[in-house]
Amino acid sequence: MLNTKARAIRLVELVLLGSAAALFIVGTYLGDTFFLRLATESLIFGGLALSVDLLLGVVGLLSLGQALYFGFGAYLSALILKELASSFALAILIVTIASAILGWVASFIALRSKGVYFALITFGLAQVAAKVVYNTRSLGASDGMMGVPILQIWTPFGLIDTSHPGIFFLICLLTISILYGILKYFLSTPTGSLWLAIQSNENRLAYIGYKSKGPKQVAFILAAVVAAVSGALYPMLRGFVSPELMFFSVSGNAVVTVVLGGVGTLIGPILGSVLLTSFKSVIGTWTSHHHIVIGLIFVAIVISAPKGLIGLIVTRMNKVDAKKEEGKHE
Amino acid sequence: MLEALQYIYTPQVINGLSIGVAVILMALGLTIIFGLLDVINMSHGEFYAAGAFISVTLMAMGISFWLCLLLVPLLLIPIGFAMERLLIQKVFHYKDRHILTLLLTFGVAMVLEDAYKIIWGANPIKPSAPISGASEFLGVMFPNYRLFLMGFGAILIFCVWAVIYKTQIGAIVRAAAYDKEMSSSLGIPVMRVYALTFAFGIALAGLAGVLLAPIYSVFPTMGRDFILMAFSVVIVGGLGSIKGAVVAGLLLTQLQSISSLFISPVWSDPLVFSVMVLVLMFKPAGLYGGMKNA
Repeated sequence: MLNTKARAIRLVELVLLGSAAALFIVGTYLGDTFFLRLATESLIFGGLALSVDLLLGVVGLLSLGQALYFGFGAYLSALILKELASSFALAILIVTIASAILGWVASFIALRSKGVYFALITFGLAQVAAKVVYNTRSLGASDGMMGVPILQIWTPFGLIDTSHPGIFFLICLLTISILYGILKYFLSTPTGSLWLAIQSNENRLAYIGYKSKGPKQVAFILAAVVAAVSGALYPMLRGFVSPELMFFSVSGNAVVTVVLGGVGTLIGPILGSVLLTSFKSVIGTWTSHHHIVIGLIFVAIVISAPKGLIGLIVTRMNKVDAKKEEGKHE
Repeated sequence: MLEALQYIYTPQVINGLSIGVAVILMALGLTIIFGLLDVINMSHGEFYAAGAFISVTLMAMGISFWLCLLLVPLLLIPIGFAMERLLIQKVFHYKDRHILTLLLTFGVAMVLEDAYKIIWGANPIKPSAPISGASEFLGVMFPNYRLFLMGFGAILIFCVWAVIYKTQIGAIVRAAAYDKEMSSSLGIPVMRVYALTFAFGIALAGLAGVLLAPIYSVFPTMGRDFILMAFSVVIVGGLGSIKGAVVAGLLLTQLQSISSLFISPVWSDPLVFSVMVLVLMFKPAGLYGGMKNA
């Protein structure tokens, strides 16, 4: 039998997948746009949070600048779609390769440091990149880039028009699920075990004959790719990109999302993103100051439940199990 | 050549110095808090903004700028004390407290920034300089307020150094940073020292806010733009080192202000950051070690 944490993760996976299916069917049937687009957005930012969780929850590296790769992916995909060709596959392919290279280069800078230094370096890298983009006229400077064309995706069954919110929701769901699947697969490989070992005690890795540098670099590049591919979906949904995508608030929000959902669970960030995005949309209808509420919730979670919502579910399941055990003995 | 030195470089150096002094005040707060508590205070920039906003409000109530210099830190000390006691202490016993306290202060920053928007609005407020006029120095005119800022800041930085290294209070703080258990068994109320040190760091940030409000405008996200520079200074100088903060603060702000003569100011931030990366590559703990090594 699976342990409680794995069971909790499986449960959340199923619930999220079930609600996605329900939303797609009901939404398409009723011709809804708002909720489908909201769910798509939460998936996109969920992908970003996923990359933060890979670094923070699995390897133990807190990145405060993951928006750098997210924004990079968004800008690159917007450029490809506008200037090169309106092709989904091409955009994702180029973004994947380019972000892997970017992540590889950045890893040499960021991974020289550990702990809080790593957090501050990633923060600084993203801040500098955001400033550069903000002031580069050919990238639209502070206005960003508008007019990203609506995609026609070629499939063996004919062309798919992504302007249909339901279809694009499915495409994003598929993309993020693939990214999630890849990360889960990596966790089951020896590299994944090394990641967890690095998280618990990096110094001791050398005692059992492993170097920590390689696995850390793999994780860093993977995180960059996951963030960038999620970012690549953004201009397809919104039709524009802006330098705000690289700002600290985006990186910070991703960290909040991960902590809310549950650090180190990979599905927690997706759950957190769904909740946070819906919450923002609900609260945004009556006040523009949603940060204050989210900040308060965040502080409360860090203090009282550092393991996030999944942690709460695990505790709950353990209690239920204990009761069952008691029942058996009586 | 000499004229270039006099009319181009000197003003830039002096301007860099006046900003440098304020950056050092910010960085001192950060580095003291880290040196003692091992806490990266992500809300430091927001307390800098708090200092500026409170001074603007107090001055609107008719209180003079000079009294603000005293009142704002006094108001911020209990706030910092309460924050340390009620929030940071709560996660202090976890293994990954480095990251948890960073997240916690990040959450506080989020709340504060939005609170400023609600209370004071998003538009920049520009208070008038308390000292008007300009003086001639080496044949170039300088605003009197900037000259005052440099002098006052330098005295303040010296006072902080003297308190930490030359007084008994400073010895207690350093002892608590060096060995928490041993200090507490010698009768030092370590928990209270932690809270007071945190409050002291916050008060320094607030004071920097009061001092810089007449130069830059006051707006809710003002801390965010400033904090990267302060973090770079602290990293280059060595987390927890007072001497490092001063040296790196002067170095980086001079680099920023002189380089902006040759390259677009847009690129001076990346330049400062590259220096930080270079320092980290060759001296991962910064130029000077932490407070514990003192």
